[in-house]
Amino acid sequence: MGLLPRKRATGSDPRGAGPPEPTPTSPEMRPQDPERSAPRRYKHHRLLVFGALAALFLLTVACSQGFQSTWDPKGPVAEKQLQLFNVLLWTMVAVFVLVEGALLYIVIRYRRRPGQPRPPQIHGHTALEVTWTIIPTALILGLGIWSVFTLFELDQPPTDQGEILEVTVTGHQWYFEFEYPDADGNGKRISTANDLKIPVDRPVSFILESDDVLHSFWVPKLGGKVDVVPTRQNTLWLMADSDLIDQPLPATYYGQCAELCGVAHAQMRFRVTVLSEEDYQAWVRDYSPPAAITPRAQRGQTLFSIHCSLCHTVNGPEVNTVAQARLDQFLTGEENAAVPGPNLTDLRTRLTLGAGITDLTIENLRQWIKNPETIKPGNLMYKNALLYDEGGNANLTDEEIDLLIEYLLNLR
Amino acid sequence: MAHAPETAHHDEGSHAAHGEALTAHGGTGHGEHSGSVGHDYTTTGLNHRKMLMWVFLGSDCLFFGSLIATYMVYRGQSLQGPYPVDIIDIPITTISTFVLLCSSFAMVRALAATNENNQTAIKVWLLATAVLGAIFIGFQVYEFNLFKEEGLTLGQNLFGATFFTLTGFHGAHVTLGIIWLLALFVISFKGRLHPGTALDVEICGLYWHFVDIVWIVIFTLLYLVGGFDAGPAVPGH
Amino acid sequence: MAAITEVLPRPSSATAGIWSWITTVDHKRIGVLYGATALIFMLLSGIEAGLIRMQLAVPDSDILGPERYNQMFTMHATVMIFMVIMPMGVAFFNFVVPLAIGARDVAFPRLNALSYWIFLFGSILMHFSFVVNQVPDAGWFSYANLTEQPFSQNAGLDFWAIGLLILGTSSVAGGLNFVVTIINLRAPGMSLMRMPVFVWMTLLTSILLILAMPVITVGLIELVMDRNFGTHFFIPSEGGDPILWQHLFWVFGHPEVYILILPPMGIVSEILPTFSKKPLFGYPFVIFSGIVIAIMGWAVWSHHMFTVGLGPIANSVFTITTMLIAVPTGVKIFNWLGTMWKGSIELTTPMLYALGFIFLFIIGGLSGVSHAVSPSDFQQQDTYYVVAHLHYVLFGGSIMGIFAGIYYWWPKLTGKLLNETLGKINFWLIFIGMNVTFFPMHFVGMNGMPRRIYTYSSEFGWGDLNLMASAGYLVLFVGFLVFLYNILQNRNARRVSHDPWDAPGVEWTIASPPPAYNFAEVPTIRGRDHYWIVKDEAREAGNPITEPEAAVDPRTIHMPSPSYWPLITAIGVGLIGGGLLSHYGVSFLGGAIAFIGVIGWSNEPPAAEEH
Repeated sequence: MGLLPRKRATGSDPRGAGPPEPTPTSPEMRPQDPERSAPRRYKHHRLLVFGALAALFLLTVACSQGFQSTWDPKGPVAEKQLQLFNVLLWTMVAVFVLVEGALLYIVIRYRRRPGQPRPPQIHGHTALEVTWTIIPTALILGLGIWSVFTLFELDQPPTDQGEILEVTVTGHQWYFEFEYPDADGNGKRISTANDLKIPVDRPVSFILESDDVLHSFWVPKLGGKVDVVPTRQNTLWLMADSDLIDQPLPATYYGQCAELCGVAHAQMRFRVTVLSEEDYQAWVRDYSPPAAITPRAQRGQTLFSIHCSLCHTVNGPEVNTVAQARLDQFLTGEENAAVPGPNLTDLRTRLTLGAGITDLTIENLRQWIKNPETIKPGNLMYKNALLYDEGGNANLTDEEIDLLIEYLLNLR
Repeated sequence: MAHAPETAHHDEGSHAAHGEALTAHGGTGHGEHSGSVGHDYTTTGLNHRKMLMWVFLGSDCLFFGSLIATYMVYRGQSLQGPYPVDIIDIPITTISTFVLLCSSFAMVRALAATNENNQTAIKVWLLATAVLGAIFIGFQVYEFNLFKEEGLTLGQNLFGATFFTLTGFHGAHVTLGIIWLLALFVISFKGRLHPGTALDVEICGLYWHFVDIVWIVIFTLLYLVGGFDAGPAVPGH
Repeated sequence: MAAITEVLPRPSSATAGIWSWITTVDHKRIGVLYGATALIFMLLSGIEAGLIRMQLAVPDSDILGPERYNQMFTMHATVMIFMVIMPMGVAFFNFVVPLAIGARDVAFPRLNALSYWIFLFGSILMHFSFVVNQVPDAGWFSYANLTEQPFSQNAGLDFWAIGLLILGTSSVAGGLNFVVTIINLRAPGMSLMRMPVFVWMTLLTSILLILAMPVITVGLIELVMDRNFGTHFFIPSEGGDPILWQHLFWVFGHPEVYILILPPMGIVSEILPTFSKKPLFGYPFVIFSGIVIAIMGWAVWSHHMFTVGLGPIANSVFTITTMLIAVPTGVKIFNWLGTMWKGSIELTTPMLYALGFIFLFIIGGLSGVSHAVSPSDFQQQDTYYVVAHLHYVLFGGSIMGIFAGIYYWWPKLTGKLLNETLGKINFWLIFIGMNVTFFPMHFVGMNGMPRRIYTYSSEFGWGDLNLMASAGYLVLFVGFLVFLYNILQNRNARRVSHDPWDAPGVEWTIASPPPAYNFAEVPTIRGRDHYWIVKDEAREAGNPITEPEAAVDPRTIHMPSPSYWPLITAIGVGLIGGGLLSHYGVSFLGGAIAFIGVIGWSNEPPAAEEH
């Protein structure tokens, strides 16, 4: 299955019900007035065929498991939320069938017939009113109480499921920054961006912060979203459960910002790679500032410090004062000001670039440096770096770009 | 609401005298100008314009309520001074509050004079109400200037933003009331204020008293309760 | 009278020509103005929706680009809500309510005209953003602090905020007018519990309007001040809290949802009895559930904010209150079913639309329950599942109800029926188009597609369903064109009787179109289904009613004369807003014009001296 968890629908898929299509059944109809009912029956017939086709189409299309499908949970949070939704869904389907069925039955059964006398003038029925107030209230209170229990159950990470890993997520226009204050249990600090790496079967507790506007942190297969709000430190915990992951590790799941955050909101994505504990520790161990580098890479380093280092860090975790200085400049809104850029220290371990929007390949990276606007319209690199001319092209030769790439991909 | 007991009486008066345009055939749609419904029939017997004012005041409650809520949410959240404790001067504002309360009394007297058709008293009390309101606004202008000199502006901190917005909109309401009172004052010289048109005065009074009451709330919350707030460290009580 | 009144002559009382419309204070004409304006905006906003669907039809599409796309969904929603559904509701309030309660006009005819003109100028002002190409682009709830410096650099959000402030003024003025009208101008015998359900829903909507609008007004004022006068209400770096905007917005925003849906619920409650030939089932329960909805609507706003991080306790409370609001909604639906039960159902176009309303609103209500439950909503919030839900309630609910109302009251407005065949084609195209467009969005949302993204990669597997939705849009659009054609060809239609549906409402007792004075004699209301009672008695007495109430010489009835002042005052208000966007001098000019307008207004006698 490779890195990407693509899974086709199974027979037990909860959406097997599909959309109950509103198809009036013709046996119910008792045409009294041939002139009027003939075309109507024809219409119903068409509707029936259309409904069946639509249902078939929806079932086949809707059942395809996308990368961000909430129907395919890979962790306890998403699973609990899906369970709750499934119960709601089936309740809704039942209510839908009952009420819409009653509606269609009444409309067909009590259609006006020619010469029909005035129907009985019924004004109401108190017992009925009480019934259809109390039954839904009871149903809803039952569901409500259950959902409140689920809500509290999912509020805090479990303490009995292995050591909790803490990650601070910072939303930026337009990428997510991930900081591990203590990545290995021995105090090693890691800053990275766009590719989140987590160990399997350990709860991960996220603290969500924003430097600029609202964002929302969402990995559909691991759990629901929580907004990333400036002035607040929201919390969220997720866990990748090896029992639910049906592929060899590492497994990668998709995440996306879910709150409108400006021009490139659609392009603010990320990946979560679930690693075995050993692989995770290896990744943490390998995360470090660059050691000895090749002469070509050294030339790349020079270019980097001229053109890129105002916004990007490459030598380990973010330094708070530097990050703050970038942010302060950014918030002035001035052209060519520094902006907080993704930390590139572990770039070579990442799967994507441009905030999860395209695979990290040499070719894509070249295009990205050359003209980022063609990959991610609205990005701040193009807007703020002096490197780019009006047409969006970098004032770099192809050779210089290759040197930069050599430097970036040899970072450790 | 000192004028409340007189309400019913005024209504009758206004009905009687205000049939000017629309008595004959019961045009029921004309409350807005004359305060009258020429036809005897309105569903509740209440005057349209008076009801309009009451409903509008309900709407205005939510307006001031939201502004006050903003102020309360941001109490003690200012990142830099001046803080309320630095500049709020309760004694001075107590005086201006007292002035505004007095204006409500004058308003009540103006309405009573209208009902008694005492033309001199009408003019005196209407003018008194307007002048007292103007004095209140004068205090506010003085206070705003003083605050500005001490460094509190709209953009200085959240206290400045919430304080000026809330009291500023209140001041705008008072100013509007003064213009209204002066308009009535001008009209009174044409002899157009008498028991039959007492409703015109009464509705203005409703508005005036409401603005007064809102000030009591603002004074309590911004001065008596919030006047001692300092920087962000101080939690709300 | 003051000199200023003489400066401007009274407009003539002519009943034709453009000036008679510009100076009109007749509630029926103002209703038509509201309706026609809203239809134009519906077309505009529908085209914006078309651009959205065009962009999303296939993956990796690059037709609009992100900036334009953000502008399109912002304006589509803002226009649909504030310039289509709300004014459409007001159009019905205006045309129907005075007729349905046996009144000759609203309580404040000139204030009514003012509401319309302010609405028109506010809408035009907001659309002026297209002319200067600085279009609002932060979504219809424009969450702070994306709306603040340095994230929003052009004047788009100023157009949005100031436009909405002006529209809000219009809504409050309208709300005040209808509260007073309904409480105070009912004909003798029209007790509260005999009022038509539509009038009840108008009353509740008006109360919601006058109470909810001030809250958003304060939010908008604070936003405008942040953007223009240096305050920091919603700017985090200066201590402001962007979440406060969300609270202010949704404290308004959720009652607003009921402002949008209660009038169509009222319309449906009028239509179902007429075409079932049965009185409304459980009238007091329908009314009472409406009241409960209007009250509970204030206690559920944070369900729009489940993912904001308010904590499990707040989320629990709002989960329960939100779920409970489904109960009164359900009661309404059951009573509608009860109304049709054992009835004699005639499937005319208005009835089809009313049934479509019920059918689609049930779907919207059920999906609503699924995100009332906050843990489940964490996955659905801000996805296409929410987009599907809101279109099922606002399109499937509000718009279907509005179409039902247009087809139902059209013969009263014009004296002619809209073509029934075209009407049915219109209905089925819209019904099918609506479902094809919006039903797939449930799935695409559950498959993880966030709302407000202008593009998506094909690898996500959202392409097919999006293409289907876009195809559905075309069906919808054709359906809307059929509707427009039906209206335009109506001038050639045959005249029908004053009571073509054999309806129970008071409005059907008079001629179609109604005379300017509505009722020659203010009627005495006999019961909830007034005209049915009257017609039954006449039939039993042996002379069935076939004619409307006899006309009288209009000169014997004093009606309020046309007036320029509402228009002048509204121009002033519009200029105040326009000045905030351009030069403050314009605002002062606008203030002066509005002041003159008010002075002239208050010195104008209610009726021209004739004799």
